[in-house]
Amino acid sequence: MTTPPAGDRTRWLPEPEALHLLADYNLPVIAHRLAATPEEAAQAARNLGCPVVLKVVSPEIPHKSDVGGVRLNVATPEEAAAAFTTILDRLTPHPSRLTIQGILVAKMAAPGTEVIVGMVRDPQFGPAVMVGLGGIFVELYKDVAFRLPPLSPGEARAMLGELKAAPLLTGYRGQPPRDLDALAACACAVARIAAEHPGIQEIDLNPIIAHEQGCMIVDAKILVHE
Amino acid sequence: MLHRAGVVLAADHPLRIMSHPLDSIFCPRSVAVIGASNAPEKYGYIILKNLLEAGFAGSVYPVNPKATEILGRPCTRSIADLPPGVDLAVIIIPARAVPQAVADCGQRGIKAAIIISGGFAESGEAGAALQREVVEAARRSGVRVVGPNCQGVNNPHHGLCASWPLLTEQGEIAVISQSGTVGAALMDWASQERLGCSAFVSLGNRCDVDETDLIDYLAQDANTRAIAAYLEGVKDLARFREVVSRCGKPIVILKSGRTVEGRRAAESHTRSLAGRDELYTALFRQLRIHRVDSLEDLYDAAKALAYLPKPGGRRILTITSSGGSGILATDWAEWSGLQVAALPGPVAETLRGLLPTHCIVANPLDLTGDGTAALYRKVVEATAPHFDYQVIIFGDPILQAADVVTPGAPQLVIFLGGAEVERQERARMHQKKVPVFPTPERGVRALARLFAFNGVAA
Repeated sequence: MTTPPAGDRTRWLPEPEALHLLADYNLPVIAHRLAATPEEAAQAARNLGCPVVLKVVSPEIPHKSDVGGVRLNVATPEEAAAAFTTILDRLTPHPSRLTIQGILVAKMAAPGTEVIVGMVRDPQFGPAVMVGLGGIFVELYKDVAFRLPPLSPGEARAMLGELKAAPLLTGYRGQPPRDLDALAACACAVARIAAEHPGIQEIDLNPIIAHEQGCMIVDAKILVHE
Repeated sequence: MLHRAGVVLAADHPLRIMSHPLDSIFCPRSVAVIGASNAPEKYGYIILKNLLEAGFAGSVYPVNPKATEILGRPCTRSIADLPPGVDLAVIIIPARAVPQAVADCGQRGIKAAIIISGGFAESGEAGAALQREVVEAARRSGVRVVGPNCQGVNNPHHGLCASWPLLTEQGEIAVISQSGTVGAALMDWASQERLGCSAFVSLGNRCDVDETDLIDYLAQDANTRAIAAYLEGVKDLARFREVVSRCGKPIVILKSGRTVEGRRAAESHTRSLAGRDELYTALFRQLRIHRVDSLEDLYDAAKALAYLPKPGGRRILTITSSGGSGILATDWAEWSGLQVAALPGPVAETLRGLLPTHCIVANPLDLTGDGTAALYRKVVEATAPHFDYQVIIFGDPILQAADVVTPGAPQLVIFLGGAEVERQERARMHQKKVPVFPTPERGVRALARLFAFNGVAA
């Protein structure tokens, strides 16, 4: 678990706020509810339809899964209520130091190809938008492409084409091709958000699940400067 | 074509239509050497000598209060005593005296100064303070400054070698370098093989004139067809983006420091992957700047982009006298995304009638060890209409090889294994403005640069 260094006046937006901001830019964000009790978690799971994922919402925990703050593939509302309790119990070793705003219950996205779209604001270069293949590709091969906005849809498509793993998006070995236009639109929207919100320092949409038609943002981190 | 004529008009010549703020640096009427010296090991001597020997048409004035004559030229005691008409001063005096010298230059109406002296920002806080004084003096008096701590400026088309070593070969590649040595090495290679350069500028500490100013100048310089730069970083990114995006000439940059920066531990993947180098890569790609990773690539790419015509397509034919070189060229062509296309049947038929039976009529087309200029010419003529580019490899001491190639034609020339004949023929081809590459690998990789950015490079 890491938090922004003291004195650096930045904070991670709570995930519901981050998802809300993205939705304002017409980006496809996963359907979700914020639950404050096990009962609310079960109700959210019923409303969204299972399977769902539960994630702790706390500005101090950007890497939720590292501390057991995430439960994937929750199959029933009853399991959702139980998972709610389990997550909070796991975090109790340091409860006094944590602000827990609730548990986010989100629909599980349909399977597809994991993609990352991000933005960093560099003191010299200004905002830079990144795309890459998610999962091990970004970790291991650093297979990513950068652009400095403004970013046209054509340029965003070209970025995706630059990735070594680009064939995984265009239909490799019988896999269906993924919706490159939808991914390019995400990258362009991220560039727009960076231009319109100078206080936003970093955006990490990781992963975005790319489908044959459309894509779905299932996890979003946004770092803001106060 | 004007740029081929090599005519350079002085900055204030009535026929000179365009004027640029940096004209005084590249095309001064007269030059003063502040700190000229009689000691042959000192730059105050070396630069004065180079200025005198490079064929500069204007006057060169040594300035030194303690000498009466240097290299046969009468010495002027002070900047204030200089006659009118001096546009450029080359300053080679101790750092602490430089701010005053710059102010004096402004006072005397000198428009630009090249500060060779070190002891400024590169040497610590006291030096940085002196450099700020230089900038102040320059701003107040309207003097443009190259350096300090630099290796000077060379414009062979104006006979101006305010630098070292003495290089005078005129060409079409401009060299900008944040390292004097790296830039001088590049210019030396170009001079050695009689290809030449259009300009050389050592940036030094960039207290005033930076790479963006120079690209802005070179974009309108009639002698420059490609710009090669060695940079450790871009000084003013916003202006760089603006100026480069309207520069109609190809730019190649060797940007060092790719690996030295440690990656920050960061919370987001994007942050951890966004090193400065990745951002430079993005910037250069967006601006259609060719990024290279070695000094040889910098030279080869600039050579190709300055002199080779734009290809109509990717289909190449290799014509060689060396089987091994032909295979190497083919491997590199495949790796570089070029198409090694088959010879059309009727063309092969014609060639079999024209060539000795032991020649291998295929792609690569191998004339074997007794290939002559006459055989090359037959093949080049018969096949030219059927391919986008011909890769012509002279793999032996082939006499009159230079007569085979045509300036401006889509031909990539590689010469190796020809010893003295190779050196002679290469110089002849370079004087015809046909670039010659030393190995199949370097030639083909340079050719492939012409296809970067979907072939729409500036």
